[in-house]
Amino acid sequence: MKSWKLNVFAMELRRIVTYRADFWINFIGQTFFAIIIAYFLWSSIFESLGVETLNGFTMKKMIIYYLLVPLVFRIQQGQSIGSISREIYEGSLNKFLLYPINFYGYKIITHLASASFYFVQIGIIVAVYQFFFKDPTVFDPTLLQGLYFILAMVLVAICYFCLNSLAELVAFWADYIWSLGVILRFMVSFLGGALIPLDFYPTWAQDVLSYTPFPYMISFPMRILLEGVSLGAFVHHMVILLGWTLLFFALSNVIWTRGRYRYTGVGI
Amino acid sequence: MMRYLKLYAHFLRFSFSKAMEFRVDFFFRVVMDIIFYAVQFAFFHIIYLHTPILAGWDLEQMRVFIVSYIFIDALHMTVFSTNCWWLPIYINRGDLDYYLTKPVSTLFFLSLKDFAANSFLNLIIAAGLLWWALSSYPGELSSLKIGVYLLLLLNGTFLYFLVNLLFLLAVFWTQSPRGFGDLFFSVSHIMERPDRIYRGFARKAFVYLLPFALMASYPARFLLEENQWGLLWTIFGVTLAFFLLIQVVWRLGLRSYSSASS
Repeated sequence: MKSWKLNVFAMELRRIVTYRADFWINFIGQTFFAIIIAYFLWSSIFESLGVETLNGFTMKKMIIYYLLVPLVFRIQQGQSIGSISREIYEGSLNKFLLYPINFYGYKIITHLASASFYFVQIGIIVAVYQFFFKDPTVFDPTLLQGLYFILAMVLVAICYFCLNSLAELVAFWADYIWSLGVILRFMVSFLGGALIPLDFYPTWAQDVLSYTPFPYMISFPMRILLEGVSLGAFVHHMVILLGWTLLFFALSNVIWTRGRYRYTGVGI
Repeated sequence: MMRYLKLYAHFLRFSFSKAMEFRVDFFFRVVMDIIFYAVQFAFFHIIYLHTPILAGWDLEQMRVFIVSYIFIDALHMTVFSTNCWWLPIYINRGDLDYYLTKPVSTLFFLSLKDFAANSFLNLIIAAGLLWWALSSYPGELSSLKIGVYLLLLLNGTFLYFLVNLLFLLAVFWTQSPRGFGDLFFSVSHIMERPDRIYRGFARKAFVYLLPFALMASYPARFLLEENQWGLLWTIFGVTLAFFLLIQVVWRLGLRSYSSASS
């Protein structure tokens, strides 16, 4: 008999591909426009300065960065963001309290299912890029880099899920808190390096950020893909990321335990 | 006309009372938009750490451009965005029937019925930023140009809404719950960059096909640069064309609408 975890994983994948045309048009369109905007912005900067390299980035490397960073961001975010608070707010959490499964486990599995779909997308993007524009001087990921990247992204997805659930569980006290999730999104995007590579930030800002979880969520996996990291550096970063994950997980467990006793099950 | 104004006054009253039900969310929505504004300024400030000029503009000029699109975003969030969120859901669920039977324009009703009262506070903040950027601008800005510029920002908001609708109305044919709303979100970032960075076909496309360049960048150019009156023809011409296009797409969409939920 198949484990319920596999069933939930498969069910979530089926849900994601229900509207296939939408899904792929959105994916291709989002990737295309992200690249177009980044290309014109940075080529304008490179041209006005008359340089070929800026903070260690050539134009080609910059394009790769902006090609991959939205996908890294999507793997981290998944599609289940907002679902916990919605279930609390609408009262549909009831069914999870009755099911003989762990609610938190269920949610993490659905989150990883959507993340896995974005893994496929990033695989397609890398394959297409390597087929048409291969340039080993700019981007030449090895199998080891791929393995490091996958391991890092699985942990990043779980870490973000735990961090986000801290915000979502506030719904036990405040009903509807969609905006908290969006605030978190903005912060991770900007402070993690999704809008501009962190190498462009002032040194003092980079130093401050290294004490937060944000660079580990975007900048770190991007560095694995673009530059590669040594085993020592990989383990070091993963341990820090794991520390943040455990901290967020522990805090969200405390909030979940306390919040559950406030839950009325009525919905609004 | 009076009937529609009275109806809109009712929409405002309902929206404010609804927003006050969720006070924590109300507060965090204000914080959310303030963080969004801060990120926009920080983004360009970081870029200007590495270059003195971008798309022909220095940092002071870029600030005027930033507040232009922040103001458009705030106004859109306040007046249209909640309605844009629900529109494809109504169509997908077959809930449009209820609105089709109302004795007013369905598109008017669905476009304006939810006024985001919490974003209204952010609109005031955005207006404050606009005032700050214009008053601290070191160059000379005539009252006439400022007046036209403000009108262009209102037009930019309306155009932004029309393009958003175009992406959402695809739901009539795709039957999905969001249409191409996510795609619009990605495409709309075009507005957040000065139009002069785009070249060749992309530039033409962002003026005529996906006219994001006309929303904030053209108004900022009109205000900050000399002899830009010619831009007005393009801005109003394209807005009118998109307004007519939406009417056609809406009617075609209604013909495909089966009412059944999917």
